[in-house]
This record gives sequence, C-alpha cells and structure tokens, in this order.
Amino acid sequence: MNKKDCIYRLYDIRQAYGGRDVLDIPEICIEKGKSIGLSGPNGSGKSTMLRIMAFLETPLSGEVYFNEKKVNGDEPALRNQVTLLLQEPFLLKRTVFDNVAYGLKIRGISENLKDRVNHALRSVGLYPEEFAHRRWYELSGGEAQRVCLASRLVLRPKVLMLDEPTASVDRRSAVMMKEAIASIRQSYETTLFIASHDLIWLNQVTDIVFRMYEGRIVGSGTENVISGPWHPDKDGLWARELGDGQKIIVTQPEKDTSVAILDPTSIIISLEKPAEISAQNILQGKILQMNMSSDPEKVELHIQVARFSFTCIITRFAAEELNALPGLDIWVIFKATSVSWQ
Amino acid sequence: MGYISEGFISALHLLSSGNVETYSAVFTTLKASSLSMSGSLLIGIPLGFLLGYFEFPAKRHARAVVDTLLALPTVVVGLLVYAFISRRGPLGDFGLLFTVPGIAVAQMVLVIPIVISLTATAIEGLDRRLRLNLLTLGARGKQIALTSLSEARYAVLAAAVTAYGRAISEVGISMMIGGNIKWHTRTITTAIALETGKGQFAMGIALGLVLIFLAFAVNWALSVLKRKTD
Repeated sequence: MNKKDCIYRLYDIRQAYGGRDVLDIPEICIEKGKSIGLSGPNGSGKSTMLRIMAFLETPLSGEVYFNEKKVNGDEPALRNQVTLLLQEPFLLKRTVFDNVAYGLKIRGISENLKDRVNHALRSVGLYPEEFAHRRWYELSGGEAQRVCLASRLVLRPKVLMLDEPTASVDRRSAVMMKEAIASIRQSYETTLFIASHDLIWLNQVTDIVFRMYEGRIVGSGTENVISGPWHPDKDGLWARELGDGQKIIVTQPEKDTSVAILDPTSIIISLEKPAEISAQNILQGKILQMNMSSDPEKVELHIQVARFSFTCIITRFAAEELNALPGLDIWVIFKATSVSWQ
Repeated sequence: MGYISEGFISALHLLSSGNVETYSAVFTTLKASSLSMSGSLLIGIPLGFLLGYFEFPAKRHARAVVDTLLALPTVVVGLLVYAFISRRGPLGDFGLLFTVPGIAVAQMVLVIPIVISLTATAIEGLDRRLRLNLLTLGARGKQIALTSLSEARYAVLAAAVTAYGRAISEVGISMMIGGNIKWHTRTITTAIALETGKGQFAMGIALGLVLIFLAFAVNWALSVLKRKTD
C-alpha cells in the first residue's frame, strides 16, 4: 500500500502499565476511510490502542504517524481531527443541546451551530424538539450514549473511534448508533475504529477485524482466535475446557497461555454427530447468525459452542444442503492439527 | 416567658417602623460581608481550583494547612489582624482599625480558607471521566480547566454560601476590629451581643430575625440559581 494512503502508521509501539506490557504492535498501516474492528478479550489492549491513536496517551516507545506527520506529544491540530467515544456514557451538566454543541464551541465554530447540532441529534435517532432542551439527568443510559455519539458526529472528524459503544445500551439505542456510524462513514469518508466484543456486529460494519490478545494483533479477518489456558490431554494433545463438558483439543502449544488460530474454512459442519471420523474436535453448537462472505459463493456462519463463538465459512451450496438457519443445532468438527499458534 | 414574646412583638415593630439604629447595624453587616465575600471569592476560588486540580509535591501539606485554618477562632483572627492594622502594626498606615473595610479584611482571613478548601474538595470530587471526555472532544488546557470549574459550580456555590454564613455570623472580629461603634461599625452580631447584655431583647431579637432572614435569602437565591443553571 502506498504510504500516502495510510491515515495512521504505527511502528514498534509498546505500552506498559506498572511494568506489565499491555500493547506491542510492531508495524501497522491503517488506510484512509476504512472501517477497522478490534476484537479480543478484556485486557487484550484494544482500549490502549485506541487511546494511543486518539493521542490521549503517549506510548512507552515507538512512533505514530498521522497523515504522514509524526506525532510528538499533544498536538491540538491533530487531536481536533480525531475523536473517541468512550465505553461509558458521560455528559456535562448541561442540556443535551449544549453537550452536543460543546466541541464546536471550543473550536470557535458558531456558523450553523443549531442546524449542525440538530442534524447530529437526528442522526442518532433523537428528535431535537423532544431532546435538545433536556437536562443531562433526564436521559436513559442508551439515550445518554447516543448524545455522546452525537457530540462526536457533529465534529465531522476524520477519524472516529468507538470503544465498546453498544456495551451498556439498550437494543434500540444500539441499532440507532450502528446506523449513525455507518452514515458518517458514507457522508464524510470518516475512518472508523470500533473495539467491541460483539463480533457479529463488527463483521457487519467493518472492513477488517484485528483480533487482539495480550497486547498483540494475533490475526485479522475471520480467523477464530482461541485463547488458553491449555492443559495436557490424551495422546500428547492439549485441551481447553469450554465449561459445558465439551473441550477444544489441539496440538501441543508453546506455553499453556498460547493463542490458537483456527481458519474458518478448516471447520466442517454436520447436522448429525459423525460416528467414525479422525477429527478430534466434535463440538455441539447452535447457529447464531449467517452473513454473506466477501466471496459471493461463500456463507459465513457464527456458531455458539458453550460460551465460545466459532466463525466458519462454507459454500452456499453446503449451506443450502444443510438447510442452515440461525437457531439450528449442528456439530462443529475440526482436527487438532488445524490450529496454528501465535 | 413573657419577655421573650414581648421581645418578638417589639422586634417586629422595630423592623416594620424602619428603626434607624436597627437598620444601621443591618447595612453595616451587609457592607462588611459583601466586601469580604467579594475579596474572598476572588482569591479563594482560583486558589481552591489550583489546589484541587493540579498535582504538586507539597499538595498534601498545603491541603493540611488550609484545612487547619478552617478551625481558626474568630477572636484569634481578630487579634492577629488587630496587631497588623493597629497604629503600631506594619499595616497601621492604612487606617483600617475601627472601620468597615477593616472588618472586611479580617473576615476575609477567616473565610478564604473555607472557600479554598471547599472549592478544592469540589474539584477533586469531579468525575474522573470528565477530563478524558473533554480531551476526546478536543478541549485542552484552559478549556478543560474552565469546564471543570463549571462542572463543579454547585459545590463552589455551596462553598460561597458556607463562607457567607461564617462571615455574617461572626462576632469576635467585628467586635475587636470594628470596635462596635454605633452608626459606624456596629454589625448585627455585635449589636445583638450588646443589646442582650443590656437586657434589651427586642432589638436583639429583631436583629436575630434579620440574620436568619439573610441566611434564608442567600440559600433561596442559591436554589433559584441552581434551578436556572440546570
């Protein structure tokens, strides 16, 4: 990729809190206008990565380039182009209108202020006539988070980052926020970064999902990232319990906390439990969601097995043969040797 | 009990008839407390903000000193200020002794620590997410500081009311620095002390009622202001 296409370039970024490494990114380029997802368990470094890219935190070492300009500490001109929506809604003790207008006012923008604020409120599904004059305490949690999102959208940022934006909101608010995020990207070619546990949503709204684990990007795309702890099982193989009596069986990891990567095309789906098969992993699950894959001949299935969500890619023909639909009970089958290690 | 109810009736008469002596004490009190509050808020709020907002090496010690000053007895303040502004004192040339501005200066010494301490507590008590959210919206430096102060406005107003209550209710300073001079430096509290000593309950009760009314008026104004700025 041409360097000029990168809105962000990160080199050897390391961050540590209290002597513990929380982020280690050797090199990454983020293309302008792309929608990037970050997934991974708590403590995997998603929020730290967002804060560094939002210029709220300085990494311990490494270099951050924004639009080909090296970032050195606090640079107001750069920070005005980037905004981050935090996980928990937080409003100033002002009316909804004043909360949304705050960012514009501190930038000295007064032209069309009312129109811009009202437009931002409408884009998150809040009618200005009903909400603009409400006070900060007259909103539900979901409405408050939508006001927070509106206060970022009104700035028309070059980069919009969202840290678990729908984690603490109601279903309706989540839907409205997702629509608003999609709309700003379309209208202003905003580059998006979304950290979320909601893989299904991430896959819908992002071009690529970086899977993070212990501060590192361990994969991108639809790979299944399976974290430990692993323990020795039969025949020299290792296993991870899934909590419902089932377990994932893999080849020997480097250490018991290693991360296994499982290609979604390595998974076989069956309606019946196979009687004779060499694969060590035969896990019972339920189809949660089906998406079109980037290849029009393929279908992406999200399958819940105990508390773990597998992604697998099968052909459209196979999906029709299985009569695959969300809610269908199926068997997930793969070999212990199908995993690779990070 | 009869003399108390008679005192109340006479007090209401004094107030309704516009008794000059009574109103002289009221106006002197208002003048001294307004002067002292203006100075105290101008000095105390910025200092309280700095103490609460910034981290610096001696912060804990500075906080301990300010908190200790909260318990200053009014007579000690009176004594110290008297020593400074009396003819022989280093500030004697300003001629503040036995004047209303003199009372105001001493009251400032009394209430500035209250304003500083309560403002600092209000700033320290702000939600930790505030700063991060302001940064994500593009605010910096002065903008963050002013927004933080604005977010703490109710607690800062409460600090001002507490300080005002302390200023109008003190006796020691007004007595020592003002000298309780009739028509000149006699305040509500010094007049109450004097009249009660003379057995003149009516004026004492009348002035007491005014004092209570002032406290109520200030708190009522605060609640109206709070509703308007919500």
